[in-house]
Amino acid sequence: MLVKISWRNIWRNSARSLVIIIAIVLGVLGGNFSAAIRLGVERQNFKETVEHQVSHIQLHHPEFIANPEAHYRIEDGLKVAGEISQHPEVAVVSPRIVFDGMAASANMNTGVRIKGVDPELETATTDLGNLVSSGSYFSEPGRLPSVITGKELADELNVEVGSRIVLTFQDVAGEMVSASFRIEGLYEVTSTAFEKRNLFVRSDDLNELIGDQEAVTEIAVVLHDVDTYRKVSGELQNTYPDISVRHWADMQPSLYYSLEFLNQNLIWIVGLIILGVSFGLLNTILMSVLERVRELGILMAIGMKKAKVFGMIVFETTILAIIGGTAGLVLSWGMIRYLNNRGVDIAAFGGEGMGDFGYASVIYPELDTAFYFQVALVIVAFAILAACYPAWKAIRLVPAEAVREE
Amino acid sequence: MKTVIKTNGLSKTYTNTAVPVEALKDISLEFKEGEFTAIVGPSGSGKTTFLNVIGGLDKPTKGNVIIDDVDIASMKESQMFDFRLKHIGFVFQAYNLIPVLTATENVSFIMLLQKRPKEEMNKRAKEMLEQVGLSDKLDVRPNKLSGGQQQRVAVARALASRPDFVLADEPTANLDTESAFNLLDIMARLNKEENITLIFSTHDQRVIDRARRVITLVDGAVDKDEAFDRD
Repeated sequence: MLVKISWRNIWRNSARSLVIIIAIVLGVLGGNFSAAIRLGVERQNFKETVEHQVSHIQLHHPEFIANPEAHYRIEDGLKVAGEISQHPEVAVVSPRIVFDGMAASANMNTGVRIKGVDPELETATTDLGNLVSSGSYFSEPGRLPSVITGKELADELNVEVGSRIVLTFQDVAGEMVSASFRIEGLYEVTSTAFEKRNLFVRSDDLNELIGDQEAVTEIAVVLHDVDTYRKVSGELQNTYPDISVRHWADMQPSLYYSLEFLNQNLIWIVGLIILGVSFGLLNTILMSVLERVRELGILMAIGMKKAKVFGMIVFETTILAIIGGTAGLVLSWGMIRYLNNRGVDIAAFGGEGMGDFGYASVIYPELDTAFYFQVALVIVAFAILAACYPAWKAIRLVPAEAVREE
Repeated sequence: MKTVIKTNGLSKTYTNTAVPVEALKDISLEFKEGEFTAIVGPSGSGKTTFLNVIGGLDKPTKGNVIIDDVDIASMKESQMFDFRLKHIGFVFQAYNLIPVLTATENVSFIMLLQKRPKEEMNKRAKEMLEQVGLSDKLDVRPNKLSGGQQQRVAVARALASRPDFVLADEPTANLDTESAFNLLDIMARLNKEENITLIFSTHDQRVIDRARRVITLVDGAVDKDEAFDRD
């Protein structure tokens, strides 16, 4: 019957209860939506940066990181790549010949990072083949070797698919080499900076030009399960102590810390909003207690223990929070799911420039299922906390005085 | 007849006021089983304080209250809650009921707190509501009942759990004459039928005229203690 009393008490002033329920719904909806946007942005950023650009693990000659030149090759690079591909946690391995150089068109030139890749392995590693938005991907044999450049770089050099560009770089002996390439395709990624700087050629073509058919300066590794990156990179480092082994978190520390921060603190984005709403809840319950002083006095006078009175107030508050919280969670789940399929285009709000910072202009908000349960726990916890003050006020009433309250 | 309540040198002084107020002065009384007693006196004479103290809602400054061989004045607050629940029925001036519960649920409420079996609770609640003439209002909530009907439900609630005695603080104060007489008739009848000790605080002559014992308080002290044969 105490449950019945609590339930009916809530609806004694239905307008007031509905107002606070709506406030909780909006709080949860707003909190979850902003959390989903934040997480969506960072996960997209992870996908773009790690899956399309740096991969889970990279191996280099230790000197290569400071001096990305063809001279700093991984000894027996192809053999090492073959060995790594046998590791049970490893999905794909892409050995590359990478170094910095210059790209020049008829009227412009710019510094670039030239990546000689195996086209098939590279697509399996970074999905490059599918990122090509115009032209084709290493499919047309031609008089000149093919190059795939970023769209931004093509714009900067004022060239297009089919145009000829000249790449200049040092060979293994340190001599300058220049060679003409024909742009076969343009790729697009979220980061304009990456597009401007990186271009891809066949490793066979590049190796011939630098004078070492088997040169490898970079090995990119993709794992079956990204969460094993620390374990696998540690194992690889032990196996190849003379090679620098770095995982994505080493290479992209700001992204790593941003994701870590979100993983640990995302709940507080919502928690802070729920905390605010809790004060509204506290006020609602306090008002309801102050309106019932006489009634609560009578309950205690006839023998209802303080613990039960306290429990009744906490229960009333928790029911309100559970109704509002459940509605808020269901609505936010539906809304986030819908927007995750459809995407939120922030270009209309000036989001086009987001690419300059490596972010996409279409955001796909997302939240993990566990997060909804965390939010539910936070709602109940804050509701119980919010109930404590009114419940404490209720049990502090002196029955003999309260029953005479007008 | 068995003594239900005995007070010895009961005094109560309120010190939380600008000037200490002596609400009760050295009251020593006994109440026997089945008595129908009215505590009368002008406003401020100490009627309500006396009921509060013997009902365990307030503690005396001096003296003791013996109920069932136990001095309730020395009990801890939590023990008092249990004691009130098991031994005392209360009827207050007005707005006694839990507004969100029906008449039957209100009458069952104390028995529920006493953890009585559900069937017994429902049977007794219906029986008591029939006794106070409200068998057609079992599922009605207090806001659909008149003031007199609400007080009858409160009486049914106070008596339903068969307490040792019932304290009623000016139960007719807000009732019209017809409702007041009706309530008093019911209480007098139940007092006899159930042999329950009833103690009223009142300055309503209609109640005083029904009481078989009238204790008059003046300035917190017993001025008169008179017995009447009403049969």
